[in-house]
Amino acid sequence: MLRVAELGKEYRLYASPRERFRALFTRRALHRSHWALNGVSFELRRGQCLGVIGDNGAGKSTLLKLLTGTIQPSTGSVWHAGRVTAILELGAGFHPEFSGRDNLYFGGSLIGIGHEEMARLEPGIAEFSELGEALQRPVKTYSSGMTVRLAFALVTAVQPDVLIIDEALAVGDQHFQKKCVERIMAFRENGCTILFCSHSFYHVRRLCDSTLWLRDGELAMQGATEQVVSAYEVYARSRDVSAEALEQPIEVPAANAGAFTPRLGARIVAMSIDETDDADPPLLLGGNLRVRVTARLEGSDEVPQVLVMLEQFQGHGIATDSTRADGARPQRLPNGDWQVVLTYPDLPLHSGEYVLSAYLFDAAGVVVYDEWYQHARFRYVNPQLTPGLVRLPHYWGER
Amino acid sequence: MTALFQELAGLWRMRTLLRALTWREVHARYQGSAAGVAWAYVQPLLTVAAYYLVFDVVFGMRLAQGAPTGRVGTYLIVGSLPWMAFCDAVGRGTSSMLDAGSLLQKNALPPALFPLRTVAASALVYGPLLLLLVLAYAPLHRFAPALVAAVPLLALMGLVTALLAWLLAIMAAALRDVVQAVGFVLAIGIFLSPVLFPMALFPVAWRWVLWCNPMTPVILGLQSLLLQGAWPATAVWLALLAWIAVLACVLSLLVARSREQLVDWL
Repeated sequence: MLRVAELGKEYRLYASPRERFRALFTRRALHRSHWALNGVSFELRRGQCLGVIGDNGAGKSTLLKLLTGTIQPSTGSVWHAGRVTAILELGAGFHPEFSGRDNLYFGGSLIGIGHEEMARLEPGIAEFSELGEALQRPVKTYSSGMTVRLAFALVTAVQPDVLIIDEALAVGDQHFQKKCVERIMAFRENGCTILFCSHSFYHVRRLCDSTLWLRDGELAMQGATEQVVSAYEVYARSRDVSAEALEQPIEVPAANAGAFTPRLGARIVAMSIDETDDADPPLLLGGNLRVRVTARLEGSDEVPQVLVMLEQFQGHGIATDSTRADGARPQRLPNGDWQVVLTYPDLPLHSGEYVLSAYLFDAAGVVVYDEWYQHARFRYVNPQLTPGLVRLPHYWGER
Repeated sequence: MTALFQELAGLWRMRTLLRALTWREVHARYQGSAAGVAWAYVQPLLTVAAYYLVFDVVFGMRLAQGAPTGRVGTYLIVGSLPWMAFCDAVGRGTSSMLDAGSLLQKNALPPALFPLRTVAASALVYGPLLLLLVLAYAPLHRFAPALVAAVPLLALMGLVTALLAWLLAIMAAALRDVVQAVGFVLAIGIFLSPVLFPMALFPVAWRWVLWCNPMTPVILGLQSLLLQGAWPATAVWLALLAWIAVLACVLSLLVARSREQLVDWL
């Protein structure tokens, strides 16, 4: 339905308007190039919904304008089948001196709806916008909400084949917002392809099958919504966390990190997570988090204690569990090493990147022998779509 | 030239929209005023009346020998109405793309639609006036058959005006000063044309300057048509065709160079 190949847009920046004028007549390059978009390719099939996320200035609006044909690409091509409707900056084509009804006909002709077809659609539009007799008055007497309602009703009067929405779900009051969302959902059910650009991750997660992440004009990532959105969240968080906060020592119960007594021969030898793939960082397959920590205490039969700490990658700490607190006992391996296997069944965390640390204690759990701080990192994708950090066990109603 | 033809092909496909835009422009020029589109006719008609009254009735001025007609007022009217139409079309056309900037940035439309609809709207407003002009002067020569030349002459004038307005609109999008410059040139352009005085009065060595004005052949043609009842000279037709060729070439160049960036400039 929509195919984009190597799309790019170069904005030429001239030192002054005179230079711009001269560039019309000479072949010499008198400009500085700013590539707002570069090498973007993707394909959308019927009924798919693609989300577009990214920072401000990443090229999202440029991409949408290129798709609607409002601006011309510098490289690459756009191909689409059928009608493309864009809900961008509603009400821009209205002439304030003319009545709402006249603007309907004029606006309709701008998007390719002829006079006869508009006459057929007019009652439906009037009803949807709930403007009543205000349609006879000039648009300059409308409130901004009325303009936007009329524009939305006009633009969505005909079922499109490709619908492009740019942060425009916040139109009008709640009642109208609900009507807008219902109409968009109806389009989707009828097989319309939707391209949705937003900063609201809740909406992107709820509505989109796959997502595109644009960064500095280039395609940073494309794929299933949950993966791309959580990767973007990690990136956004890493920009927020200041350098100072990253260096802050993490409080470890019963010991200071770094102040451990290196007893000769007492050390952690291995730490791994079961059931991950080979990506970097590895993705946790399945719903259980199983951590294996292997330690070696040479020349002693002391039973060590192990503490495992789970934190968000460059974020908050989440959980700390130790063999001492839970009364668990490490297993002795045939070669004399000690091994603990810690399982978090059905990991109740939301999607994101996490990191595990392991600490080796003495039998009393007081002296820290070794630490592997933030050693194992993994990515977790939780198909649950509601916002939050953890999924707490709960029930509804009175028990 | 291919760039120009591609644009024209695209515009032909959007001709219904062009018609809608033209009507909208005509209405919008005087929307909200009581007299409406009648205001468009007030200035030309009053100017014509003033010329007639002042030069022919009050002063009774007469032109020198060798002029197409005796009376000054009669002479002035023939040239000034087309010139007023030309100034209106080119003046508004130059700023048409800039004015429609917000519309172009939000809708996928070819920018060429806007200077063309402005020229078409001006043609709709001034067309009846020019037709009236031809009919008013026709009895002077007992409805000579050469009057039929008015149709191709006015059509070619429309073509030259449209090409020029489109060209200037692209230039104005690149450099706003063009709007000011065009206004200035149109103001003094009337002196560099046979509107106010016959070509014969102009020094021979400087007559080439007059031919640099695209309206000169049109006015010469209309003058010979309406004042003398004679078919316009070959030079008139050749000059018009030359102007159209030159404008088309320059326009094609500008369209090709600006196509990618034009909307970004608005």
